[in-house]
Amino acid sequence: MKRFYLLMTIASMLMVTACAPGGGGSSSQETDAVSGSSETGGEVLEFWYIDPGEKEVVYQEAVERFKEKHEGVEVKLLRVANDAYKQKLAVSMSGGNPPDVFHSWGGGWLNQFVQQGQVLDVTDSIEKEHFNELALDNATFDDKVYGLPLGLSLDLVFYNKEIFEEYGLTPPDTYEEWVSIIETLNENDVIPLALANQTKWPGAYYLMNFASRIGGPDLFNEAFTREGRGFDDPAYVEAGEYIQEMVNMNAFNPGFNGVPYDEGQGRQLMYSGQAAMMDITISFVNNVRTEAPDFEEKLDFFVFPAVEGGKGSTNDLGAATGPVWSVSSESEHPDLATELIKELTSTETAENYTNRTGSLTGVSGVEPEDEFIKRMYQLAEEANHLQMPYDQTLPPELAELHKDTTQALFGLSLTPEEAAEQMEAKAEQDLQ
Amino acid sequence: MQQADSSLAAVKEDARNKAKKRKLKNALTIGLFVSPALLVYALYVIYPILATLNYSFYDWNGSSVGTYIGLQNYVQLFNDSIFWTALLNNTWITLTSVFVQIPLGLIMALMLFAPIKGIRLMSSVYFFPFLMSTVAIGLLWIYMFDPINGSINQLINLFGFENVAWLSGENTALIAVLFVIVWQFAPFYMILFRAAIVGIPEELYEAADMDGANPWHKFTRITFPLLMPTIVSSSILAIVGSLKAFDIFYVMTGGGPNHATELMGTYMFKQAFVNFNMGYASAIAFVMFFIALIVVIIIQVLDFYRQKRGVFSE
Repeated sequence: MKRFYLLMTIASMLMVTACAPGGGGSSSQETDAVSGSSETGGEVLEFWYIDPGEKEVVYQEAVERFKEKHEGVEVKLLRVANDAYKQKLAVSMSGGNPPDVFHSWGGGWLNQFVQQGQVLDVTDSIEKEHFNELALDNATFDDKVYGLPLGLSLDLVFYNKEIFEEYGLTPPDTYEEWVSIIETLNENDVIPLALANQTKWPGAYYLMNFASRIGGPDLFNEAFTREGRGFDDPAYVEAGEYIQEMVNMNAFNPGFNGVPYDEGQGRQLMYSGQAAMMDITISFVNNVRTEAPDFEEKLDFFVFPAVEGGKGSTNDLGAATGPVWSVSSESEHPDLATELIKELTSTETAENYTNRTGSLTGVSGVEPEDEFIKRMYQLAEEANHLQMPYDQTLPPELAELHKDTTQALFGLSLTPEEAAEQMEAKAEQDLQ
Repeated sequence: MQQADSSLAAVKEDARNKAKKRKLKNALTIGLFVSPALLVYALYVIYPILATLNYSFYDWNGSSVGTYIGLQNYVQLFNDSIFWTALLNNTWITLTSVFVQIPLGLIMALMLFAPIKGIRLMSSVYFFPFLMSTVAIGLLWIYMFDPINGSINQLINLFGFENVAWLSGENTALIAVLFVIVWQFAPFYMILFRAAIVGIPEELYEAADMDGANPWHKFTRITFPLLMPTIVSSSILAIVGSLKAFDIFYVMTGGGPNHATELMGTYMFKQAFVNFNMGYASAIAFVMFFIALIVVIIIQVLDFYRQKRGVFSE
């Protein structure tokens, strides 16, 4: 009954047509992938994901393989737009009509649903060795596995080789070198760094990277587990100071805090050569391939530079998992759904995923063929530490505060001390 | 005589009973006819409002069992600086809607009656913004307001001004979105006023002509007073619409930067579906409802007295 109340509440609170908690078959995007199966009327699984393009094709092929092994089982595929996905899944979960298999990014957001008892524990059905340990950890809570990571993403600084050559620049190893590059580019009227920070997470990478370079890779875990340093540690304050220093030296495109990421204006600055660098996840490569294929030959990357006197090094990388496939605990066919997520993370799927979409995978031992991607793979293999994004690790409200305060740091409307204090005060409330 | 009296009384009594019965029967019939609509109204309007009120007393994340915390959500709400920012922003939208949008709609409607060549075409052109979906409008204007390559900035460059990062500045973002709102909704009021102006009897203007009234007098003494009911209902629509504004802000700024364009609607949405504070979001929703209710009551009361005084008296 409570769920019914909730639906009513939502309906009255929002006059937004798009928030219909459509369970099955209500969306126009739905692509029914039932084709050759001779027997139907059997079990039906519903599967939600967000990735378009080649990634989608890879998932569809995995589903076909699953259906060959399990005759008579139907799988309904539904792709939900990235921005709407979090809300749509949250509504379907609380509406009591969740999909059997769904996408997540692991971390705190998935844990939210785990805490509510909405996600199936699949620890006993899988082999942990099949996955990259750090990636699987991001979907493991209390030693129980709640999701299988197909994708792994790194955070790197991409740059335009052509522009660097033109001004005789080389990728920086330290912050000081980076600053001199930024100055040179500014003198020549090239925007040094493209940043689309309306969505807040692109800017958050700077804070996470600086904090890790200054305070060492353990800083966040100490603050998160409330053991040792906190979010008001001097390293966080210093990270904020570095960010504001970069803003003050005009390192970014003007008005970055109002530029949304999904609409592509930030990437457009890179493609058009108006900007020279961009700190972003490697999903950027997939974007380049679909949006501006010619640009790929100009594209290269470096790791976020080191900071003098800092405890961290360029072996500590920012990373993220996603897609992470999970099974809803309300699924009527938990065994079949578990089989489906295993197929979605099989070695074959992972190979297709990494080779055809220019991504890395959370499945261990799958090496990319593409040289460019292979360099990223080696970085990940040799990494000393992979830092998952704060906003996917922290509980939702604290995660929002982290992104809000970081955006305000970029907007120069908060001092680094104020931002760090706000974070620590909220963390004391929300984290045990 | 006495007998006659008593029989008269009996007849009267009988008639009264019959009237009562008829009334009861009428009430029953009316009730029967109204009941389906009433049921739907109760189920989809009244009940959710009460349910929202109920949730606002709980600390509840939307799916597990909530904890009853009394008025704590409201205490937190009234100490929440973001909520006050949101309320202030809603006030700005309301003021803009009533004092810019509606007059602009009226001016546009009057222009449609002016003897200008090609005005029929213009009436369609004016109406276009209202026909587009809000999301499309939002995206369109995001590109127009782009800090580097946007056409707005290229336009102001022509006049020698520097580029303005419209949607990124905490001071300019609200102005930019308000501009879009006016652009989008003024045509709606134009159509309302146009329909109302068509409804004004021609004789009044003819009589005014005979009395030698000039166009300004005709407007202030005939058109404007007769448009008053339309202005009042437009104002109600504008105010209530402003209080629950959500979509264009959600698309264009997401309430940012740093909550500078946060509205009660966007803040409620964030609390409910990003932070999973369903109880707190319900408290915001209920406060929104309450404010809208109070405002509508005030307008209705004022309008009641205005009508009592008579439309034509000054």
